[in-house]
Amino acid sequence: MDFDFNSLLAFIIFGVTIGVVYGIVALGISLIYSGLDIVHFAHGEIYMFGAFIGLFFSQVIGVPYPFAIIGAMIFAALLGMFIERVFYRRLTQAGGGYTVAGMGMIICGFGMSVALMNVAYLIWGAAAEPFPVDLGMPLQLGDISIPQSYVLTAVVSMLLMVVLNYFIRNTKLGLAVRAVAHNKDIAYLMGINVPLVISLIFGLGCALAAAAGVLIGPMQSVQVEMGYLMLMKAFAAAVVGGFGSLPGALIGGILVGIFENLGAAYISPSHKDIYAFLLLILVLIFRPSGLFGVIAKVKA
Amino acid sequence: MLKIKELHAGYGRLKILRGISLDVSQGTIVALLGGNGTGKSTLLKTISGLLPVMDGSIEFDEKDITNSKPHHIVRSGLVQVTQSKEAYPAMTVEENLMLGAFTRSDKAEIKYDLEGVYSFFPVLKDRRNMLSGTLSGGEVQMLVTGRGLMAKPKMLMLDEPSAALAPKVVLEIFANIYKISQTGVTILLVEQNVRMALLLAQYAYIIRDGHIMIEGKSEELINDPAIKEFFLGGTVTDTSKGLNA
Ligand SMILES: Nc1ncnc2c1ncn2[C@@H]1O[C@H](COP(=O)(O)OP(=O)(O)OP(=O)(O)O)[C@@H](O)[C@H]1O
Ligand SMILES: [Mg+2]
Repeated sequence: MDFDFNSLLAFIIFGVTIGVVYGIVALGISLIYSGLDIVHFAHGEIYMFGAFIGLFFSQVIGVPYPFAIIGAMIFAALLGMFIERVFYRRLTQAGGGYTVAGMGMIICGFGMSVALMNVAYLIWGAAAEPFPVDLGMPLQLGDISIPQSYVLTAVVSMLLMVVLNYFIRNTKLGLAVRAVAHNKDIAYLMGINVPLVISLIFGLGCALAAAAGVLIGPMQSVQVEMGYLMLMKAFAAAVVGGFGSLPGALIGGILVGIFENLGAAYISPSHKDIYAFLLLILVLIFRPSGLFGVIAKVKA
Repeated sequence: MLKIKELHAGYGRLKILRGISLDVSQGTIVALLGGNGTGKSTLLKTISGLLPVMDGSIEFDEKDITNSKPHHIVRSGLVQVTQSKEAYPAMTVEENLMLGAFTRSDKAEIKYDLEGVYSFFPVLKDRRNMLSGTLSGGEVQMLVTGRGLMAKPKMLMLDEPSAALAPKVVLEIFANIYKISQTGVTILLVEQNVRMALLLAQYAYIIRDGHIMIEGKSEELINDPAIKEFFLGGTVTDTSKGLNA
């Protein structure tokens, strides 16, 4: 095969675009992990629900696509807060705090994943639904043409990251989020309403997953099983970047995206999904704490 | 200002405090003394609402706060500086101090109080933009105390502020506690440095095995042979620095 610089560039651009989506899902997982000390295994299903809700808003109600994203985010945030409050909090509090409740929490996460999937089967059935969105002509970048959905995905994801980063670094509530992430008792003694902030953190993480779902929808299709693979990729991204690190989640996502697109293009397209885990294994061998690994005590 | 009656509390089913009664009147410094593991920190955690009350009652500022949520207790003006000297290491000194003022929204006054804390602890001003994880032990104690003050408390509970600090720093810390009390803040001081605490406080309680063994005016306790005996015979490790010194 002739080496073609343009197609290399195209693969990288597509890789980055899909990568930022992995990034925002990983960001949600990281946020929940650093805030609540739980690894949320049902996050893929929140992503899937987000995609279906976005589809519903956009195709059934007929609201413009950007508003479908916002609607799905709000809905997923509420769904996530409900799940956390009603199911997870009993477990996280069992140990006299929100510390890792070990196996119980992990099993509960998997159980929630299965439960949500079955609810989704009940509502939407097993068939893959197309998510047609007309965003106009592809963007022409020299010889490379990029579909508008990719451009929008990159822009929206970046915007979400910037807003989230600003919120966490520069606002009073963001300060409270960081305080709760580091030490709940001390946060309480600062007068912070800790349970409320925990709901907020969970809701934010789920809203990010939902946004990713609505962004990916038009590129692929929407189906009940879509959450599993996304969860795996986002985990790979979070671990590659360093679990619990927010900038790491983004960089990890982009690396996974590029790596799997290049692998699919130059090695073998039929094993596309393997490359993410290949990268994951490489990182775990050479830098087990991830590229931006944080010392447990200085997380978030 | 703080009235505790027959308080029972502990961790889960494990009861540590067995009927504690304690009074702190407004504007005073009251010392709570006792050896390791006698329940001092447990008492403060219970007062702050971090541990549930099993029996008995807590009243602050004429309001019942038994089993109130910790953030509500802070908002009512009762603030604790914990023993663990937990600042947020990944936040700057100033962010830590601003976190102390989380319950307040009076921007101008917060700024004024921030300058107040800086003039109290000038070293914090020099380090305002550094991560608090880089501070020394004494500086962290100043930071967490300053952070407590930023909440504009009516009453401050200090859990062993002098523990694990060099003697020179200890003196400085006690001088600061005196100054804070002079500004009208009521103080409950938990200490193992018995002598210093008794010199500073007007009234003192001595706790052992989850109940109050002895209480009385500091000037009476400081010369009481029974106290000397108690701390010499007890489990306190720093008796040499204590009454004996
Ligand atoms: N989280 C916990 N769970 C169970 N028991 C605890 C816990 N924390 C403390 N204890 C026990 O409660 C008792 C009182 O502890 P506490 O921390 O109140 O002592 P203290 O008087 O503050 O001692 P020190 O001077 O060493 O700080 C101890 O026997 C301790 O082992
Ligand atoms: Mg203690």
